Amino acid sequence: MARILPKSKIPKLVELLSKKRLVYAPQKIEGELLFAPVDPSETDGVILDYQTTVLPPKALFFPPEENLFVARKEKIAETNPPAEFVVFGLNAKDLAAICYLDEIMSKEPADSFYLKRREKAALVAVAGTKMGTAPGGDLILEKAGDSYQATALTKAGEKITRLSVFEEGGPTGSDPSGSNPTETELEELLADSELLAQAVAWSRTSCPEIWERLGKQCLGCGICTYVCPLCYCFTAEDRVDLDGTTCTRCRRWDACTLPDFATVAGGFNFRKTIKERYYNWYHHKFVRAYKEFGRSQCVACGRCQKYCPAGIDIEKVLVEIVDAFQKVHPERRF
Amino acid sequence: MANNYRPQKAKIVKIDAMSGDFKRFRFILDKKFPTSKEGTSFVPGQFVLAGVWGYGEAPFGIASSPFEQQFIEIGVRRVGAVTAALHNLSEGGEATIRGPYGNGYPLDFFEKKDIVMVTGGCGIPPIAALCDYVATRRDLFDNVYLLYGAKTPDDLLFKDRYQLWEEKGIKILLSVDQPTPDWKGSVGLVSKLVDQIKINPNEAVAAMCGPGPMAKALENILRPLGISDRRIFVSEERKMSCGIGKCQHCTTGDKYVCTDGPVFNYDEVQGNWD
Repeated sequence: MARILPKSKIPKLVELLSKKRLVYAPQKIEGELLFAPVDPSETDGVILDYQTTVLPPKALFFPPEENLFVARKEKIAETNPPAEFVVFGLNAKDLAAICYLDEIMSKEPADSFYLKRREKAALVAVAGTKMGTAPGGDLILEKAGDSYQATALTKAGEKITRLSVFEEGGPTGSDPSGSNPTETELEELLADSELLAQAVAWSRTSCPEIWERLGKQCLGCGICTYVCPLCYCFTAEDRVDLDGTTCTRCRRWDACTLPDFATVAGGFNFRKTIKERYYNWYHHKFVRAYKEFGRSQCVACGRCQKYCPAGIDIEKVLVEIVDAFQKVHPERRF
Repeated sequence: MANNYRPQKAKIVKIDAMSGDFKRFRFILDKKFPTSKEGTSFVPGQFVLAGVWGYGEAPFGIASSPFEQQFIEIGVRRVGAVTAALHNLSEGGEATIRGPYGNGYPLDFFEKKDIVMVTGGCGIPPIAALCDYVATRRDLFDNVYLLYGAKTPDDLLFKDRYQLWEEKGIKILLSVDQPTPDWKGSVGLVSKLVDQIKINPNEAVAAMCGPGPMAKALENILRPLGISDRRIFVSEERKMSCGIGKCQHCTTGDKYVCTDGPVFNYDEVQGNWD
């Protein structure tokens, strides 16, 4: 029997989930919307009707900085695996991004630090409209009138639907309510990853003026990569205690737009200019990713555009590139 | 779940200072690399991430013979933080190793063919491993040449192996830019040596590893010899933080140097802007 959750019971559900595990959910922290640990006594602050959080939920599985090892007196200790937790209130785009990251990090040789966190986490997505086929996750709550229709995709998700706040019952009235928002141009483009791959690769030499312009506009600050739910480059760094007996190897987010991302010892830089580095960001997301995983590494969440201090709008850039490409290759339409 | 970032301890049992800023390190590993049916523990051209706690890790081509069961060797030019930390270690000291990583040279494809190896300066370590492989399985290959150039005669590395390689029928052609009075080899770019190479270009392969000037060597040697780009195998060098295709530092075009390479058909990476 299908399960539904009255909308008014959301705080109670979060409270119940918080009893056994830490729950991360979107909340306003000092005016910014973030996935933050929920205080079980104040679950009213969980916000489900939102566009994007500042940082993507990837930060919960691939933190901005994490210790990999502690080496002390010839012994290497691995950091403790995290306790179980729940990520509540993911929107469809962030959920899709996590499912894609799962694929990236599971590709052999796998990234065990990411996967160990993922194994401990239950993902609960909440959609304001009908979600369609969910890309993954444990439980999907789709809004339908004053209730949410629950679709459990895993045993962990099913277990949640057995909590007392859920009621038995089929869809209330009609299908999940609300019309889907109109697709943005970027979402339309992402439906044809092959075209994007062709157009972006083509643009490097065939539309150099676009990259010249962007190379001047981009500040090379790396913000777009930090807020991207599908950027995952990193660097490793060793830290040694003052007495020199303990070394901690940590990894932290890097950004391919930063000056020395491709500089080898001795000083040779394989991507000397911002133009080259900024192009590489697109090349990774739309060309290399397409060849490696069969689709673009972008879910059109809009964060890179929203937080770019130089005002670069990736959607406009891609539309410009694809328009230019299609003028030369008119046969290449959707 | 395997932790692919966890390095193993590597005890330094021998250090050879081979030139002013280049040392060869011999390591005995806690856990040896698995051995293939042929008795090799890596493929020449594969690399390891060697590290020193407190300084990090960096990629190095394995320089010892792939048939060696007891130890592995790498060559390290002192050029940055990790290499300086390695240089400061002594015999009996400890470093860390992860690997072996990457593809290595396509040895099966090299069989029954002439081989022209071209390298310069500190680019020789993976080529040295390849020479050792060829020397051990010499019957499998036809004419084999090693062209090696360096700034001065003192900068020619791995001299202790030349005799063995020559005895096994590898023709070694050396060249330096700044000869000393007693220097008997050739002077200038290794490209001058092209006349001494007798191969059948349709049944020949080239293996390259080295710094930027190698591109010139490619134009001036391998082109005149008529070896097609597809049969020229180049080993690429990039910054790496992971070695397993995740961190994104080592990409060139659509390829990861760590997992797709470091050895590429020249026409796979030719023209890559990065």
